[in-house]
Amino acid sequence: MLHLRSHNLLIQKTLSEAYEANEKGAPLTLDRIVSDFDYTTFHITNTPDNKVILWVSIRTKAWQSVLQCDPNNGLVSFLQSKYANAAGVSVSNNTEPGYDFTLQIDLNALNQDSIVQVSLLKTMVLSFPFHLAFQEFAQLCTLPIPEDGSSIDSKTLYAIQHRDDEQFFIKASNDRITVIFETVFQDETDKVLGKVFLQEFVDARKRNRSIQSAPQVLVSHEPPLELQNQKTTRNVQADSSRRFITFVLFPRHFQTEELQFSSVSQLTLFRNYFHYHIKCSKAYMHSRMRFRVDTFVKVLNRAKVDDEEEDNESETQQHTRRTITGRKMVY
Amino acid sequence: MSYLNNPAIVMDNGTGLTKLGYAGNDSPSWIFPTSIATSQASGAKTSSNQSNTASGAASSGGSGQINNPYFGNSTSATSFGNNLSSNNLLLSNNLAGKRGTEDLDFYIGNEALIASQGPSYSLSYPIRHGQIENWDHMERFWENSIFKYLRAEPEDHFFLLTEPPLNPPENREQVAEIFFESFNCAGLYIAVQAVLALAASWTSSQVTDRSLTGTVIDSGDGVTHVIPVAEGYVIGSAIKNIPIAGRDITLFIQSLLRERGEADTSLRTAERIKQEYCYVCPDIVKEFNKFDRQPEKFAQFIIENQDKTKQKVVDIGYERFLAPEIFFNPEIASSDFLTPLPTVVDHTIQACPIDVRKGLYNNIVLSGGSTMFKDFSRRLQRDIKSIVNSRIIQNEAVTGVKSTGVDVQVISHRKQRNAVWFGGSLLAQTAEFKSYCHTKKDYEEYGPEIVRNFSLFNMV
Ligand SMILES: Nc1ncnc2c1ncn2[C@@H]1O[C@H](COP(=O)(O)OP(=O)(O)OP(=O)(O)O)[C@@H](O)[C@H]1O
Ligand SMILES: [Mg+2]
Repeated sequence: MLHLRSHNLLIQKTLSEAYEANEKGAPLTLDRIVSDFDYTTFHITNTPDNKVILWVSIRTKAWQSVLQCDPNNGLVSFLQSKYANAAGVSVSNNTEPGYDFTLQIDLNALNQDSIVQVSLLKTMVLSFPFHLAFQEFAQLCTLPIPEDGSSIDSKTLYAIQHRDDEQFFIKASNDRITVIFETVFQDETDKVLGKVFLQEFVDARKRNRSIQSAPQVLVSHEPPLELQNQKTTRNVQADSSRRFITFVLFPRHFQTEELQFSSVSQLTLFRNYFHYHIKCSKAYMHSRMRFRVDTFVKVLNRAKVDDEEEDNESETQQHTRRTITGRKMVY
Repeated sequence: MSYLNNPAIVMDNGTGLTKLGYAGNDSPSWIFPTSIATSQASGAKTSSNQSNTASGAASSGGSGQINNPYFGNSTSATSFGNNLSSNNLLLSNNLAGKRGTEDLDFYIGNEALIASQGPSYSLSYPIRHGQIENWDHMERFWENSIFKYLRAEPEDHFFLLTEPPLNPPENREQVAEIFFESFNCAGLYIAVQAVLALAASWTSSQVTDRSLTGTVIDSGDGVTHVIPVAEGYVIGSAIKNIPIAGRDITLFIQSLLRERGEADTSLRTAERIKQEYCYVCPDIVKEFNKFDRQPEKFAQFIIENQDKTKQKVVDIGYERFLAPEIFFNPEIASSDFLTPLPTVVDHTIQACPIDVRKGLYNNIVLSGGSTMFKDFSRRLQRDIKSIVNSRIIQNEAVTGVKSTGVDVQVISHRKQRNAVWFGGSLLAQTAEFKSYCHTKKDYEEYGPEIVRNFSLFNMV
């Protein structure tokens, strides 16, 4: 399918340009605004007194709810640990006003890999609740399995408000981690297409053997059991177009660091992929519609009678020259 | 309503290059060719490269800068990097063998140029002479540029698009249909390129008052327009266009290189010579003499191959000043269009209502890549001045009334190359911008006709 990278290409490009220019001894003057999905804005600037030091600040809708996932306020130290090994990147203590979080970048110490790490900043922020859930899972699965074989669920449900009207939820159990997305569409066409797509998500796994190892997907109208006593799903029932998509991650999806990273980065892009493909389908239908109209126009043109010319013929006969067999001369 | 905080997206899709970015920046975030490589329906595609979406992020950073299709801003619409057959730079779309998904199998921009070097993709340019010709391709081009390059959910952003002068209203409606129905964009403003170019000239120190009156000379890749604008309204009846622009100049250089039998006569070389060496001379005869006396003053152009092991040396000859001279003496290269640019500008202004002419002579603004030649503005100003002066003298002789004189000023500024985009960015970052846009709600209520009119920006 059409790829969306998990890192922000534009940040990567901007930082690479800044890096190259600095290598050549002429650091750029930067003051750039970059945006990302789901109300995320980045700001890349030089520090006022030193062109070699940059600030990369992020403001994202999800920040508040991600922050609240951990009562111990672990988000910043989590990010600190994520960037501890990235050369030339450090967490700035003075967050830029109007932004949620600021990284400080030293162009002299930067390398290609840490540029990619910085462009992953948004994914890093969103991966924090997942990180907490993975930790919980590790604890829960050491507990003895209950007699009746039922699973032990964590008491905490992480709710991340990543858009004004949509959230996603994460819950750990002793044998799996459940991720639930809310979706709601504003546009009527999107609602219909979205429904088809969601059904396809569920069915594809049944039909296609090669993707059996993918996480299980469930779609429902009603909030799933995990959300039942969640207060934040207030007007949910009132809204008929709201759907819940549940992904069930089994240990094979997050056993290693790499697996965790790829699961998280794909899940955090889920909504964007989803909407992207709905838009692609619409574009496809538009091109089919244009094709149709074109063929109809062709048919109509063929059906057109050149009667005007025929009628006028007798009058203009002396002006129209013809060949011996009566074909019209074309000048 | 938190999209109010999201920056607006400014898109200037030109014949050759597309300029994309977020409002509030001083230069476009992305500049790449307006090209799309679509999979050939029958082509049995053998994709050798593995998809690695998950680790893609970590592994893609390492490759060299110059060869990466995502980096650097293009200045060329037809060539990219070192003509490498570098299919492995692309992340495969992974659609080989999946039937019914041909519409998803495409690349845009520099990726398209790379993909089209292989056998399974064909390259096309959806915009001709500034106007959109292939709506299917354009829709997909936009879709990819919004989601992949700008990483924006169009529902959350306002858009400012540009259109060439004299764009038929039907085209506007088509654009609106795509943006509102396919993308559900929050709001849309379609601005005329010339007006944006005027707004961009306000950054120049030569400009003292921020008026939207002036003559815009917009010369890009496909066509050159001379557009008079009075108080923000384009005087449509007086617009003139000249069928000479960037691509023709490149082709002219290429033909000279071929005639001399240089070691490399590719379009790419011709284009680089154009951009790096060409300048406008004050007097062509003197320049010829200068060249003949000291040919060593005229540079040589050295092409290195990928690993810097081999070199090709291309001499640069008269084309250095002769190529841009096409604007001033079109007969050098063309046999059917013979009016020099300064004369066209003068005719354009003379075709406008008499009360705005002074303002139009006073503020001649350059925009677009093909006005970037050194001393272009100086020569233009001199030539227009001499046309105007000779007319004044004639008039004075006939009527016996002393003229108050006309001040001719050609304005050249730092943002000239992407003036249209920059002007768009200036307008779209203002607080009022959103109130000038048509929103999705308006569209649903009134239908596509609403985009036939946009109220004009009046900014201070
Ligand atoms: N420094 C330069 N000197 C001369 N020509 C240049 C320079 N930089 C870019 N160009 C030429 O400018 C052209 C691209 O200009 P621009 O981006 O303004 O066109 P466009 O907007 O794509 O086309 P149009 O406005 O005609 O639709 C190319 O032909 C390129 O070769
Ligand atoms: Mg243009």
